[in-house]
Amino acid sequence: MLTTAERIVFLILVVVCGGLAFRGFANIVRIVRRGRKAEPREGLLGRFLQAFLDVALQRPVFKTRPLVSVFHAFIFFGFSFYLLVNVNDLLEAYVSGWSMIGRGGVAGVFNLLSDLLSVLVLTGMVALLVRRFLAKPKSLEFNASVKLHPRVVAGGVPRDSLIVGVFILLHVGARWVGTALHLAKEGHGDPWLPTASLLAAGFSGLGEAALETGTHLCWWVAMGLIVLFLPYFPRSKHLHLMVAPVNLALEKRTPRGLLEAPPDAANPGAKELTDLSWPLLLDSYACIMCNRCQDACPAHATGTPLSPAALEINKRYYANEHAASLASGDNTGGAGLLDFAISEDAVWSCTSCYACVRICPVGNAPMFDLIEMRRGLVFDGAAPDEVAEVLRHLDEKGNSFGESARKRPRWAKKLDFKIPDARKQPVEYLWFVGDFASYDPQCQEISRTVARILNSAGIDFGILYETERSAGNDIRRVGEEGLFESLAEQNAAALAECEFEKIFTTDPHTFNALKNEYGPFVDGGPFDVVHYSTLLLDLFTQGRLEAGTQLKARGTYHDPCFLGRYNGGFEAPRGVIRACGLELVEMPRSRENSFCCGAGGGRIWMKDHPDVVERPSENRIREALELGAVDYFVVACPKDLTMYRDAVKSTGSEGQIAVKDIADLVAEAIGLSAAEVN
Amino acid sequence: MKIVVLMKRVPDLVEDLEVDGSGKALATEHLKLTVNEFDDHALEEGLLLKETSGGELTVVALDAADVDKMLFTALAKGADRVLKITGAANVEGNTGLAAVFEEVLSAQEHDLILTGVQAADDRDGQLGPIVAALLDVPCVEVVTQVEVGEPGEGMVTVHKEYSGGVVAELEISLPAVLGIQAARQSPRYAPVSKVRQIQQSATIETLAGAGESSGAAAGGGSGFSVVEMTAPETGAGAQMLAGVDELMAVLEAKGVV
Ligand code: SF4
Ligand code: SF4
Repeated sequence: MLTTAERIVFLILVVVCGGLAFRGFANIVRIVRRGRKAEPREGLLGRFLQAFLDVALQRPVFKTRPLVSVFHAFIFFGFSFYLLVNVNDLLEAYVSGWSMIGRGGVAGVFNLLSDLLSVLVLTGMVALLVRRFLAKPKSLEFNASVKLHPRVVAGGVPRDSLIVGVFILLHVGARWVGTALHLAKEGHGDPWLPTASLLAAGFSGLGEAALETGTHLCWWVAMGLIVLFLPYFPRSKHLHLMVAPVNLALEKRTPRGLLEAPPDAANPGAKELTDLSWPLLLDSYACIMCNRCQDACPAHATGTPLSPAALEINKRYYANEHAASLASGDNTGGAGLLDFAISEDAVWSCTSCYACVRICPVGNAPMFDLIEMRRGLVFDGAAPDEVAEVLRHLDEKGNSFGESARKRPRWAKKLDFKIPDARKQPVEYLWFVGDFASYDPQCQEISRTVARILNSAGIDFGILYETERSAGNDIRRVGEEGLFESLAEQNAAALAECEFEKIFTTDPHTFNALKNEYGPFVDGGPFDVVHYSTLLLDLFTQGRLEAGTQLKARGTYHDPCFLGRYNGGFEAPRGVIRACGLELVEMPRSRENSFCCGAGGGRIWMKDHPDVVERPSENRIREALELGAVDYFVVACPKDLTMYRDAVKSTGSEGQIAVKDIADLVAEAIGLSAAEVN
Repeated sequence: MKIVVLMKRVPDLVEDLEVDGSGKALATEHLKLTVNEFDDHALEEGLLLKETSGGELTVVALDAADVDKMLFTALAKGADRVLKITGAANVEGNTGLAAVFEEVLSAQEHDLILTGVQAADDRDGQLGPIVAALLDVPCVEVVTQVEVGEPGEGMVTVHKEYSGGVVAELEISLPAVLGIQAARQSPRYAPVSKVRQIQQSATIETLAGAGESSGAAAGGGSGFSVVEMTAPETGAGAQMLAGVDELMAVLEAKGVV
């Protein structure tokens, strides 16, 4: 179809633009390889097959924003098919007489698909451009104090979106119009090209020459544009269409609650971009800058300068800006992450709730960047004062309260029976109590309630008394790896001396550490650990607990991050709640989408950021109140108990909703009298 | 500049303290020691000084439970040398302690000696002044900030706190002893892995037995002797007031308003 001159020009264009694009891609590969090492990614074939299947079904995209995801799917399916269309169009240009138009059979199906999908792509693209540039959703904006790369401030992201959007419209639109012109030239429609035939009717008045020029022009806009776009591609967020599947395939597949130890203990943490591990570098190239992670982030929602999206975006803009020097490795003395990617106070605003990692459609893990940066800061003695104090307490006394280690089991003194000492006698269940349940006065009451429930059910359980130390879950997430290891070693050594079948705990943070992170410290593999919600539900199922009274009330349940999103513990607590007869009403954000209370990642020890407009826990209580006529806000985590009781007070919601631990409900349902409970 | 920080470990007050059978001392069975908080501030101020003005920082500490960890922690934070004095466990009071420190200090180069302004287990808060007297150098107590270089060589500027929020700025010639109330910033945290690394590479210099005799040499003991040690009596407790009205009622009942 093309003239010889056109063919030559196109080839030259391919060589020049292809060369430039290749340099861009090569730089990306070199930069990613300069990242620190990560756990080896095994089973690559399976990983890629899985990732391609997920992408093909658009699973990661449909996790949220359903309408936007539908439009995205239009573009995705159309664009994927356009790979074939582009090959066909090249053949058409270079092989004389090659044309699909006017043929039936396979060619007819091809035509039909290309015709319909072109319209879907155009529809999807117009819808997304309207959304971004006319509807202007708030979710595409950042909190005022979020650190942004100067080019982002200058409008880099919308400009990039516009370029990509217009490119897609022109590429697909020109091809579609070109087909219509072709049909018009032939003077008849084609049943396999219904929409193009409709359009062709509009061109019937044009002369032969105009139609011929038009088809050439459309070919050039459709195909030439792709080639011209190639060098821009590695710099653009449109790159996600190639990197996202790779990134999804190479995702961390170990348990969500298992953090990788720093590769270099003598020099932990990330100060510069290339101090991050390679998967975290790859993240910024996969990022489509959709801000879905930011939408899910409790820190951003409550007004802090933390945006996991901005972090990835800033990394990308910095990497684009310094691609050559980063790739060659001579950017020594380059800017620190805290200079361009994120502010220090934002690093400390993260609650390590995992929501950003869970929601990201391209498999990014901004939370891990934050933990790496914390590791670097802690190693340099730059932890915030409140954190430093807690770390000192934990190092000296083994608990975050700075209390005497000897006072750890004191909560159990008020019981009218003695909890067996697991250090001295074999027990079926070893109860790893945890700091909050041991030292916080409100949580101590719940601990006693749990003890009484188990005692009344005849469970053989014991505790470690003053030998227990904090399990270290949040210490690890604050970035103090050495202290986490030291605590884990002490606990593992103490547990090795005891005889027990299972461990249980009421604290999801402790649960996570023991279950997922103690493996390397324990001979004979990780512990068999259950959360008390599972234990209580089992006891109901086995008939060892019986709900004599059915509680006549409505309650909603808050999934704690480290039980739910991290460890999939969604059903057991709900089972317990139902077993007690409570009518369970779900909040809009529940299970995987649960909204963090704000206590995790060491946040419970830190002061609120001055920019906070509403604490995450207050935001959550508001969500529960909006359900209407809910009596109980049910929790299954000691930290939640304190966080939400405070939030009920600070929002002035006393009398409207009461925070209850699942143990409270069970005690009431099985008829432990109030006197017995306290 | 040679900075020397004097540190010691004191009973940890979060533990339940018990008086022993003699009725004159703490029972040691469950006694846990921790770094004297004020000494930790002295170390922090010393480290800040070293960072801004250069010099060498040495920590001198009395042997006690977990003192090695405290000294390795000091190294991890940035101290250059650490000395441990053994055999002085029975030294009584700050006079005796000062004599022990003085003996060590006279054998060490020192321009600036920093120590905590007081300690949970001392009875007079006079460690700094007595060390200064023994060394015959000036001393300032209740210091919150030290700056080098302003007045010139051999001088430092210090901020001294008085009650009622009054702060004096003093220039003092070196060598001198400063009793630190609080450093400019909270004492930094030394990560466990760094302390462990240091533990494997660094050494603690040990100075044996400055001995009980020095206390006597310095003037026959502290001049104090403990007659009796008892836990403070618990008062009647606080009355929790629910609001302004109740507060007014109490004030009226007391005849204040
Ligand atoms: S882990 Fe949670 S708090 Fe931290 S950045 Fe991600 S969403 Fe925000
Ligand atoms: S990290 Fe993921 S969720 Fe966040 S903006 Fe990038 S692509 Fe979107």
